[in-house]
Amino acid sequence: MKRSGVWASLLALGFATGAAGIALGQDSLPAPSPIEKTLAERATHVTEVTLDKNMLAFASKFMDADKDDGGKEDKDDKAVKDMIRNLKGVYVREYEFDKEHSYTAEELEGLRKYFESADWSPMVHERTKGVAEGTDVFVKLVNGQMQGLFVLDAEAKELSLVLILGPLDIDKISKLGGNFGIPKDAVKKAQKEAGK
Amino acid sequence: MEHKDHNDEQELVEFERKLRMAMQHREAPLGMKQRALARARERRQTQRGHFWMVQRIAASIVLAAAVGGFAAYRYNEERIAEQKRGEEAREQVMTALRITSRTLGRVNERLMENGR
Repeated sequence: MKRSGVWASLLALGFATGAAGIALGQDSLPAPSPIEKTLAERATHVTEVTLDKNMLAFASKFMDADKDDGGKEDKDDKAVKDMIRNLKGVYVREYEFDKEHSYTAEELEGLRKYFESADWSPMVHERTKGVAEGTDVFVKLVNGQMQGLFVLDAEAKELSLVLILGPLDIDKISKLGGNFGIPKDAVKKAQKEAGK
Repeated sequence: MEHKDHNDEQELVEFERKLRMAMQHREAPLGMKQRALARARERRQTQRGHFWMVQRIAASIVLAAAVGGFAAYRYNEERIAEQKRGEEAREQVMTALRITSRTLGRVNERLMENGR
C-alpha cells in the first residue's frame, strides 16, 4: 500500500513536470527550423532576429534612452516600449533572393507546420495557384485575448517569417494600423472562429 | 693687594684640582657599553621603523589608488559595453518591428487586392 502511494506520487510529479515543460515550451521561442538553414544558403540577404523575454526587457530599458532636447521621449520608442513590455518573444526571419521562387511549396508548408500548433487559429491563408507564393497569418487566442501572432509571407523574391509571442492589444494594433497593417476585421473574425 | 693675589691663587688651585679630577681616568660603570650600544641600536630601529611605516603608508596609498582606478576603469568599461549591448538589442527590436510592419503591410495590400 505504502509502495503504491510512493509510485503514485512519483507519477504525479512526472506528469506535473511534463505539463510544466509543455507550458513553458509553448511560451518560449522555438528552435530554428532546419528549413531555415537551406533557405539562408540560397538567399542573397538574410535578416534574423531572435529576442526572448529577457532580451526584450533589456532592450526596453534602452528605448527611452534617446531623449530629444526637450527631455521628451521619442514617441515611436515609447509606443514600441509599451508594446514589447509584456511580450514573451520575437522571432523574425527575412530572406531575399536574386531569383524568383527560390523556395518550394513543400518548404513553405514545412515552415508553416513547424511553427503552427494546436492553439493557433488561422486568420489568413492564401496561396497563388501554380507558384510557391502565399500568405499565412495565425493568431494565438487565449480566453479571447490575442497571445501571439505568426505571419509567413512568401513573395516571388522574398520570404518573411514573423512570430510574436505574448499579449498583443488588438485595439492598440488596430490604432497602429498604419504601422502594423493588420486588418481589424480579420482579427475580429479570427476571434469569433476561435470562440466557436 | 696681597690679599687679592692670595685669592686668585686659591681659585687657580681649585680650578686645577677640578680639572685634574675631571681629566682623571675612571672606569666606565659596568654594562655601560652594552647599554649605549643597545640604545643606539634601539634608536636605529625606531628610525628604520618610522621609515618603513612611511613606506608602507605610501605603498598602500599607491595600491589603493591603483585598485580604485582599475575598478573605476572596469566599471566604466562594463557600463559602455552594457550600453552597447542595449543599443544593439534596441536596434534588433526596431529591425524586427520594421520587418513585421512591412510583412503585415504586404499581407494587408494583398488582402485589399483580393477584396477581403
